[in-house]
Amino acid sequence: MALIRREWKAKEADEWTREDWFAIILSPLAYVALMVGTALSMLLLPVGFVILGAGIGLTLLLVWVINPKLSTISTEYEKKQKDYIQQLEKITEWEATE
Amino acid sequence: MVAFTFLDWFWLAAFIVLMVGSGVLFYRLGKRSEADFFLAGRGLPWWLPASSVYATHTATDTPMWVTGVVYKHGLAGLWYTFFSAWCAISAFVSTRIFRRSLAYTQAEWQTLRFSGLPSHLLRGWMAGWQVFMNMFILGWVGIAMGKICHYVFDWPTWVGLVFFSAVCAIYVLAAGYWGVVMADFQQGIIAFIVILIVSVWGVVAAGGPAAIIQRLTEMGQADRLNPFAFTGWFSGDFPIAWFLTMFVIAVIGGFGMGTSIDWYAEAQRIQSARTVKDASWCIWSGTALVLMRNAVWGVAILGFFVLYPNIADVKDYELGWFRLGFENLPAGMIGFFFAAIVAIHISTISTHLNLGAVYMTRDLYHHYIHPKASQDRLVWVGRIATFMLLLGSFVFGSIMENITEWLIFALWLMAAGVWLPNILQVVWWRFNGWAYLAAWISNLVFSWLVVWVLPAFGVIPSLQDYEQFWILMVLGAFIYIPVTFLTKPENMEHLVKYYVMSRPIGWWGPVKREAIQMGLL
Repeated sequence: MALIRREWKAKEADEWTREDWFAIILSPLAYVALMVGTALSMLLLPVGFVILGAGIGLTLLLVWVINPKLSTISTEYEKKQKDYIQQLEKITEWEATE
Repeated sequence: MVAFTFLDWFWLAAFIVLMVGSGVLFYRLGKRSEADFFLAGRGLPWWLPASSVYATHTATDTPMWVTGVVYKHGLAGLWYTFFSAWCAISAFVSTRIFRRSLAYTQAEWQTLRFSGLPSHLLRGWMAGWQVFMNMFILGWVGIAMGKICHYVFDWPTWVGLVFFSAVCAIYVLAAGYWGVVMADFQQGIIAFIVILIVSVWGVVAAGGPAAIIQRLTEMGQADRLNPFAFTGWFSGDFPIAWFLTMFVIAVIGGFGMGTSIDWYAEAQRIQSARTVKDASWCIWSGTALVLMRNAVWGVAILGFFVLYPNIADVKDYELGWFRLGFENLPAGMIGFFFAAIVAIHISTISTHLNLGAVYMTRDLYHHYIHPKASQDRLVWVGRIATFMLLLGSFVFGSIMENITEWLIFALWLMAAGVWLPNILQVVWWRFNGWAYLAAWISNLVFSWLVVWVLPAFGVIPSLQDYEQFWILMVLGAFIYIPVTFLTKPENMEHLVKYYVMSRPIGWWGPVKREAIQMGLL
């Protein structure tokens, strides 16, 4: 079984899996590298370009890891969204319980 | 005072027409329904709300703030701006959960997550608090524009406060959130380009990157080039303990909702995205741009420090980035720069006008006063609410000098004692509405005691802000944890509905098992 899953069924994508945790770890690291790398690159310091490159690499990895799962969740959820919105309006107008 | 040529005035006039016009163009879409006036019909691709995230968090006071911390601490000061990194985790956790709830606002979400009386008390409280907070932010940002106009044109500060907010209100009143997000898109592009041009211009004016590094080294200030230059674990004015506290608050806060004041504006962008995926990426990429922009500003301020190293008064050096632009750009470009400042300003004003109005309209008027109101009427109530916020912001702005300290305290209330409850409400099924309400009330009491009363009477020493954070968090837990266990769990049927719709992360085992038993999963 692959470390990172790229094909998802709707029911499985709704669960929280290790791909989510990879994203949770990669994402702040990418932010740190993008911010620090941008600053040091603007000063034309070689280490800045290395860190900025790492930030871009982490961002691409993040997209690669989590995007297939998010796509599946979105497609499945859109089918139910209309009914949920109607329910939400009924709650606001006190026609349904919360 | 800065001298404007004809070309400068041309740029300013052209930009204002473009910005207001691009918002007003969406009048017909904005007036269709409450969902259009406040969420652009929930149909936006990720890059539109992302540009709005970026534009909203690029306000007139933002370069002053970034300048202040970088001038004082060097590049390490950028960590003060890293609080926005709560979006790192939020984009893939709380954003996803909140988008699936479909709640217009965080106040509405309270009635989906909790039930009964506490949920309504929370919805009312949060709606009122957000109306107040948005009015306050409008006043705060507005008076920053007043100060800039005073610096550039020597106008009285109220002129800059009133004039540009009123101009912005034209398209917010006409097209609601459609106007906000469409204007934000082009304002974000203008702002990004001009920030880059002015900052690079400033670095060049200081002699270029190599000269800045050389000069800082000669001055014995080479530490300013190091983003990780701390003053010790607990000592000095930039200790590692502060950094770690900030990192935990910001990053771990992404598991919760409302752990940052910016959550409330982001929540609107999340719901306006057309899918869950679009919501996640809009928050993530908008914030990534914000952090990179701060870095660009930071380097420009190093250049400003090299040019003007001995400014002692914060009120003088916080205008550093603006000075780089006004003092170094050639004639004809000054107006371009000022027009970009106007873009920066009104993108934030438009967001908070519409955001305060959604709480007033959706949570107070629609739900509690007139549940059967027509869509046409709700759009008009939205416009009246927008106008009331505009007027309120003028009052706040005019008294801002006297109340800033109190209002920073009010902002602090949002963060410390309710930080953990904001996470618990997302990740723990057993945490109930009474506990969350108790957390808010106890935080109100404890924060007064810890920040003001006890130090004033010498009972405890004046504490660093990061020390106050941890103390308030622990004190609050002594109240809301017992309240959680001494009151009943939320109604299981209600929790199952919420779970099936939102699929939250964390400890939801009993609710999930019930949902499976009911055949809903």
